[in-house]
Amino acid sequence: MIPPPDGGACVAMVGKDCVAIACDLRLGMQALTVSNNFPKIFSYGDVHLGLTGLATDVSTVSDLFRYKVNMYRLREERNISPQTMANLVSSSLYERRFGPYFVSPVIAGINQTSGKPFICGFDSIGCIDFAKDFIVSGTASDQLFGTCEGLWEPDLVSCACSGDMG
Amino acid sequence: MNHLPQAWGRPRDDVYGAYDNSHFQTNGPTTHTQSPIVTGTSVVAAKFKDGVVIAADNLASYGSLARFTDVKRLRKFNSLSVVGFGGDVSDMQYLDRLLNSLDIRENYSSTDPENALNAKNLHTYLAKVMYKRRSDFNPLWNHLLIAGLDGEGKPFLASADLLGTTFSSPTLATGFGAHLAQPIMRRVIPDEAAVAGVSKEDAIKLVKESMKVLFYRDARSMDQYSIAVITKEGVELKENEKLENQSWEFAERIRGYGTQVN
Amino acid sequence: MAALFSGAPPQGGPGYSFKQTPTMAPSGERQHGFYPYTDNGGSTLGISGADFTIMAGDTRSTSGYNINTRYAPKLFKIGGEGPDNKGARIVLSVVGFAADGDALKERLDTIVKMYKYQHGKPMSVSACAQRLSHVLYNKRFFPYYVHAILGGIDEDGKGALYSYDPVGSYEREQCRAAGAAASLIMPFLDNQVNFKNQYEPGSGTGHDLQAKVAQPLPRDTVESIVRDAFTSAVERHIEVGDGLQMMIITPNGVEETFTPLKRD
Repeated sequence: MIPPPDGGACVAMVGKDCVAIACDLRLGMQALTVSNNFPKIFSYGDVHLGLTGLATDVSTVSDLFRYKVNMYRLREERNISPQTMANLVSSSLYERRFGPYFVSPVIAGINQTSGKPFICGFDSIGCIDFAKDFIVSGTASDQLFGTCEGLWEPDLVSCACSGDMG
Repeated sequence: MNHLPQAWGRPRDDVYGAYDNSHFQTNGPTTHTQSPIVTGTSVVAAKFKDGVVIAADNLASYGSLARFTDVKRLRKFNSLSVVGFGGDVSDMQYLDRLLNSLDIRENYSSTDPENALNAKNLHTYLAKVMYKRRSDFNPLWNHLLIAGLDGEGKPFLASADLLGTTFSSPTLATGFGAHLAQPIMRRVIPDEAAVAGVSKEDAIKLVKESMKVLFYRDARSMDQYSIAVITKEGVELKENEKLENQSWEFAERIRGYGTQVN
Repeated sequence: MAALFSGAPPQGGPGYSFKQTPTMAPSGERQHGFYPYTDNGGSTLGISGADFTIMAGDTRSTSGYNINTRYAPKLFKIGGEGPDNKGARIVLSVVGFAADGDALKERLDTIVKMYKYQHGKPMSVSACAQRLSHVLYNKRFFPYYVHAILGGIDEDGKGALYSYDPVGSYEREQCRAAGAAASLIMPFLDNQVNFKNQYEPGSGTGHDLQAKVAQPLPRDTVESIVRDAFTSAVERHIEVGDGLQMMIITPNGVEETFTPLKRD
């Protein structure tokens, strides 16, 4: 039995020498809004992780990765790169292959070694989707797919990337 | 002795017991087809520059049993059109009788061959019959292909199924053929514009090739089939074609499934 | 006397052979094994402008993962003269179950033609829109499984667009997407046609932001929005593709265009 996801949406995008990641702030139970201040993006140094799906798992998984990234920092004495984070997320989710966290994570960040933007998305058991353009996730993913596919183009600059279509 | 006229000609109760009339009950529930029983498999057809080729094998299956091996599933309606039937055979025979009566009615009301029902008219008629029956929750469990010439003498090919869904395309196939034959035929005739470059011989070859592939891979098919070519010259229907040049030689070169994996 | 020749045996009397009360055939409800609907995929959309309405739809027809045909129009001219609907000023688009769509189109076309025959003037879009609602609601308990959009020019010469649910509830709108990729196209339209989530540049931040006001768009802009909407939908939805059929309704008539889309 898969529990119904709590509503939420997240999108990450690559622009010219930049990335953007955004989420809504609503926490709901179907049509009932419970909170209007429930962020779904969590920052771990240079890497940003968006989590949509079951709200309890969003909290659990975000805390789990805070712990894992802190441990990484202590051992390695450096920040985690987005690519390494992607593999950490993937393997951590796959550990729960037969009892998954009900989340669809999104990663956005800039690799501080290469200076290149990086985004990727996952399914709930850790299959990575390396996209060059954008990643969408959550209950409004169809809608986000439509808008992103219609509006995205290479080398968008940062003000356009953040949704202020001036 | 019972003198009531209603009792005349009936077995006597005192001799034979109460008459069991249950077998000629007419007010039981009306029954509708819930699933096909004896079925025909794919029908395939392709347009060419001055007509249409259509083919279907001569097998009627009862589940997985090859029950009747000489059932003709192509029906010539007139010199302009042929119908190919996939699906339930009894419903096919009902439609066959329906088309017979339609043809007789048409021949009485109009003797002008110019106004004969063409393939397009026939398709519209059959599609409406199918849609009416599905709307009554009493479907005719068939998928039909209607091939022939339209009102302007141009090649016409269209389909109608048990839900009343209709569509038209330069190549069409029902059932298993939609998966196996359609990709082969679309490679040769990708769109309406390509039809003009296809000769009668090309189209026949294409349809025969499709029938061969279907015989190789469709377990409910057989190697005897009917094939019809409809052109301005009329309908050329052959009902006892045999698949030729069968060979599994190509299988030697197939890699990736079966006993060998690489 | 009449009872003597009624054909029925005397009640409780010396019956003839039909003595037993008729036994019913095996009772118990049987489940219907037949589902009268299917989904033929595809998407449609309509946008109305100041003096025109654009209707569009892809031409792919599907059943499951199969492509039935690459050219099955979802846009139909309604009214006008003869089987080619010459001089028609109303366009209907239907997406969903294609057989119901065709049946609905034929019903509405007949109604609009009969209206002109009986009243000597063409039916207005608003009247046609309301009638379409009734036609759909008449089958409330065995619906036409389609999402319909009706486009035309209203009595003031402005572009008119009406959208429907399968049982006839309807509304006049500026733009509407329907069908398989409606969820992908509609938010794009909200943003590009009604300027939702767009703000005047440099108008400040937070509550100071000035929303960009929607205004009727010129025809070529609308045409390119429609093309973009469909090329995007083709990328992300497998049931959309093959061809894009557009009908542009102006006070001078209906222009029809066809552009190929990806066939993968």
